[in-house]
Amino acid sequence: MATLNEKKTCSERMENFRRFVWNPETKLFMGRTLINWVWISLYYLAFYVVMSGLFALSIYSLMRTVNPYEPDYQDQLKSPGVTLRPDVYGDRGLQIYYNVSDNKTWEGLVTTLQTFLTAYTPAAQHLNINCTSDTYFIQDTFDGPNKTKLSCKFTSDMLQNCSGITDPTFGFPEGTPCFIIKMNRIIKFLPGNGTAPRVDCTYVGDESRPLEVDYYPVNGTFNLHYFPYYGKKAQPSYSNPLVAVKFLNITRNVELKIVCKIIGAGITFDNVHDPYEGKTLLKNMCEEQTYLFSRSSVFIFSL
Amino acid sequence: QEDHKLSTSELEEKYGTSINKGLSSARAAEILARDGPNSLTPPKATPEIIKFLKQMVGGFSILLWIGAVFSWISFGIQLAQGSESPFDNLYLGVVLAVVVILTGIFAYYQEAKSTNIMASFSKMIPQQALVIRDAEKKELSADQLVVGDIVEIKGGDRIPADIRLIFAQGCKVDNSSLTGESEPQSRSCDFTHENPLETRNIAFYSTTCVEGTATGIVINTGDRTVIGRIASLASGVGNEKTPIAIEIEHFVYLVAGVAISIGVLFFIISVSMQNKILDSIIFLIGIIVANVPEGLLATVTVSLSLTAKRMAKKNCLVKNLEAVETLGSTSIICSDKTGTLTQNRMTVAHLWFDNQIYSADTSEDQTSKYPFDQSSPSWTALSKIVTLCNRAEFRPGQENLPIMKRVVVGDASETALLKFAEVILGDIMDIRARNKKVAEIPFNSTNKFQLSIHETDDPKDKRFLLVMKGAPERILERCSTIMINGKEEPLDSEKAEAFQTAYMELGGMGERVLGFCHLYLPENEFPDTYPFDTDSMNFPTSNLCFVGLLSMIDPPRSTVPDAVSKCRSAGIKVIMVTGDHPITAKAIAKSVGIISATSETVEDIAKRLNIPVEQVNRREATAAVVNGMELKDMSLQQLDEILCNHSEIVFARTSPQQKLIIVEGCQRQGAVVAVTGDGVNDSPALKKADIGIAMGIAGSDAAKNAADMVLLDDNFASIVTGVEEGRLIFDNLKKTIAYTLTKNIAELCPFLIYIIASIPMPIGTITILFIDLGTDIIPSVALAYEKAESDIMNRRPRNKRKDRLVNQQLAVYSYLQIGIMQAVGAFVTYFTVYAEQGFLPSTLLGVRVDWENNAINDFEDSYGQQWTKYQRMYLQWTGYTAFFVSITIQQVADLIIRKTRRNSIFQQGLFSKLFSFLYLQVQSLHLCVFPSYVYI
Repeated sequence: MATLNEKKTCSERMENFRRFVWNPETKLFMGRTLINWVWISLYYLAFYVVMSGLFALSIYSLMRTVNPYEPDYQDQLKSPGVTLRPDVYGDRGLQIYYNVSDNKTWEGLVTTLQTFLTAYTPAAQHLNINCTSDTYFIQDTFDGPNKTKLSCKFTSDMLQNCSGITDPTFGFPEGTPCFIIKMNRIIKFLPGNGTAPRVDCTYVGDESRPLEVDYYPVNGTFNLHYFPYYGKKAQPSYSNPLVAVKFLNITRNVELKIVCKIIGAGITFDNVHDPYEGKTLLKNMCEEQTYLFSRSSVFIFSL
Repeated sequence: QEDHKLSTSELEEKYGTSINKGLSSARAAEILARDGPNSLTPPKATPEIIKFLKQMVGGFSILLWIGAVFSWISFGIQLAQGSESPFDNLYLGVVLAVVVILTGIFAYYQEAKSTNIMASFSKMIPQQALVIRDAEKKELSADQLVVGDIVEIKGGDRIPADIRLIFAQGCKVDNSSLTGESEPQSRSCDFTHENPLETRNIAFYSTTCVEGTATGIVINTGDRTVIGRIASLASGVGNEKTPIAIEIEHFVYLVAGVAISIGVLFFIISVSMQNKILDSIIFLIGIIVANVPEGLLATVTVSLSLTAKRMAKKNCLVKNLEAVETLGSTSIICSDKTGTLTQNRMTVAHLWFDNQIYSADTSEDQTSKYPFDQSSPSWTALSKIVTLCNRAEFRPGQENLPIMKRVVVGDASETALLKFAEVILGDIMDIRARNKKVAEIPFNSTNKFQLSIHETDDPKDKRFLLVMKGAPERILERCSTIMINGKEEPLDSEKAEAFQTAYMELGGMGERVLGFCHLYLPENEFPDTYPFDTDSMNFPTSNLCFVGLLSMIDPPRSTVPDAVSKCRSAGIKVIMVTGDHPITAKAIAKSVGIISATSETVEDIAKRLNIPVEQVNRREATAAVVNGMELKDMSLQQLDEILCNHSEIVFARTSPQQKLIIVEGCQRQGAVVAVTGDGVNDSPALKKADIGIAMGIAGSDAAKNAADMVLLDDNFASIVTGVEEGRLIFDNLKKTIAYTLTKNIAELCPFLIYIIASIPMPIGTITILFIDLGTDIIPSVALAYEKAESDIMNRRPRNKRKDRLVNQQLAVYSYLQIGIMQAVGAFVTYFTVYAEQGFLPSTLLGVRVDWENNAINDFEDSYGQQWTKYQRMYLQWTGYTAFFVSITIQQVADLIIRKTRRNSIFQQGLFSKLFSFLYLQVQSLHLCVFPSYVYI
């Protein structure tokens, strides 16, 4: 077989390249005449304008066809996730630790909680109505102003000892810290099948070991009148109901693993892939300082 | 190499042998151990492991290895950092490595398979040699011969080694495989020339002894023989890259360039956008993986080997897979005449008797039974001479074979006459038996005639019949009468004129003409018992009766004219290069269409216009017949001029060296040259050619070794088939590549948009591998099965400098047009899936950092719903699937686009490859239905 490409020296290559970029004899710029390039650019311009137009049209018709109140499919969102405040994440998820005697270690946590609760002050909640019934607050019509639906009021005082009103430090210096548990919103999700779902915290792996916890509101329930959620557009002022847990006898200087589950029909907490779906965990270690680790709904304590 | 000058006794001394006793077996064994067997060493093979490793690092493999190594590095870093899911990168690296290794193994396997075909082919039947050893004659396998052995050869043998003759009787050798001389050379024991190649007392290895007997001392064996040196010279010429290899390399450079530059560019952008280096590296791997068509090299190999298989069925054995395509880009074929264009067998083509020329049937199978008038008594007389004045005989035991296929003992013209007579008259042996031969003078070069005297088969007729054949002018000299319609008439000047005209006409057609005459010897002078003596010639050899002429030619194969015209319309120039006479060469060239009916050579024009050759405008002549002697005196420029200016060229009387010069000349014109050849002397030209084509039947092993392709049936028409297949494969590879490249943009865009617009990742690296190595493989291979488009043999051969496999148009069209459309389509799907699940496009933009943040488990979508990290990831995987399905479905459309380049899709047939569509669909459905795939 004979060779097809002769070896060229570097300078020849450079010369060839220069000639390719601008050939003075044929007046070719990169192998084409300038007018040719203009035409090509125009063609591509037109082509891409049309393509962008098509894309825009597709997206536009997509936006026109989606329901503004609720998504067409919710198959990826069957069970709500559960989150915790304060939310300090370490390598392995939520990890909260602090030193009881060193206020620098817990001030940040307290501030997080306070900031979080500002959305639940009466002022912030003034648009919402007071609900008293213990059943689902089903609204088929738009009763609120501007074609919206009504939302029930949830104010921080409902969290009593953990509201930050009576105890602005949320029990952190005393070693009886408060944590606020929040369930993720899912449109038209009806948890508990008629009975209010409640939070239940236990040690991980050793459920029989007693864990002294105070739940606020009483029993750690999410009242049914906060459900269902009708979406951002229908309920612009909706705020998630909360449950606060106060751990009363945290062993200090021991890493604790605590799980807090939300118990109620329709809420699953056994998805092995998702540590944040429907549950909470804690680890505890006792020392002079208090450490609290948490992994999503899993807390790891070290007191 | 002074052996030809030495005397016999000196030779005996030099080689420690004895002319009468030969070597002793013990001594021979010693020398054999020293020199090795008397056979040509096959070209050195690359070790298998090297071939294998080459497959592992060639092409895109290196890019993928880089990707794999990056994956493992990032895995290591992540592991050291104690990150959450470092194993993804480990798996990715493993997958990439597995891909490379599997592709490598596959390519290696394919190559090994084609090599094996060749290996089985090159096994030779061991040749025997008659040797004197220990004072005894022994039959030995030729590779056992050693220097100093005394060997005996006789007509028909192949010379088993280089031999210094010490005894010869009427010995002639055919040196054509060595020097290209077509005439047999006589050999004797005399030192005639300083140059060992020219001297008469040396016979060379692998040449054939045509007639006579000889005894000689072996002076060189194996690779040290003259032919061995030529063969090793040819194999020393390294195999250079085939056009398709260059094209693929060009393509790899292009893609690798695009991949690396985009990868590095966006790596820098990504880093400067304050992404983690680690993420940027993963992102870089993604870009590389998206850009590299992983499945393509496997597809190319499969396509080539499928074509090679298909060609093997049509009697083209392809040694080198890539040669398949080379043949398709061929623009000049330098074809040998004998055996390739012609049947390589003398056949009676014309007869002249009764002042008239008749044509005989020259086709391979002799279908027309009575092509000329056989009622004339002159024909009866002529046929008798043809039958009787002939020493050729059929080998016994071939009664069941067709006459044309039977093996004949005798020289080429006698064989032709024998077969001719057998076809028309029936059992020749029986006729000869009835007309007993009483005396005979065989043909020799001084007499230039052959004569025999027979009893007649008519019991009442006691006369003897003297029959004679030979060179027409010599025969005519001996005649005083001529037979016209069975009657003897005096041979006057008018009749002699008629003879001359007929002789010139037949000779002008390049045919070998023989004259026939006879004489019934008078009974009274030559009674039954007359002692005929051939030495003193006691019988008349003049005043005979001239009967007729027969002319013979090696006729063209019946398929050749059609094949040549196909080459013409395919824009391929067919040049005949032969060692034969210009007249014969031109006649054959005309009859097969290499010189078309209307075109003229310079000489023709001169003759027509009746002006001297020098005055003819050379540009007017489209055809040229160049003699080897003229070629010798030509400068390269003159040769180039001839190659440029004439479209129809015949080189006659060329030596092997000139063959090489011609090939080089063609290559200087920028042509891709195919050369056919069979002799050892052709092997350098075969090597030099872009594609060397050896003859499977007539070809020597050296030629087959040097060639890239072997024509199993020695038929020129097979080359045309090969050209068609080669063009087809080029077209189809182009389609495959266009098809494969298109989706690269759709795979690449997600990474770019991901970085620029910070949207959740639209498609994962492993999903891309699923497309490249899963769903796309079968359709790409299916494209290789695509039928030829209608114009495939009507367009010019591709210009290897301009018509690249992957040219600007193809890349631009695939990348910037179809690719963009695919990307747009896939993104519409992606946005739709997210929107239907709650994330409207406006929400998605710029969301990446939060989206991928493990610490955010209440991520809010457009409807106020909140998502945990895992729920988001699950949605992202759903997005991967959507993007994947979108690409595969668009690839189906792409497949339909790519099915044709020039034909309309309806001409080509839309559903001829229905299974590939179905396959693609089934694949993607399969991937969607089984949820476990979602975790990729």
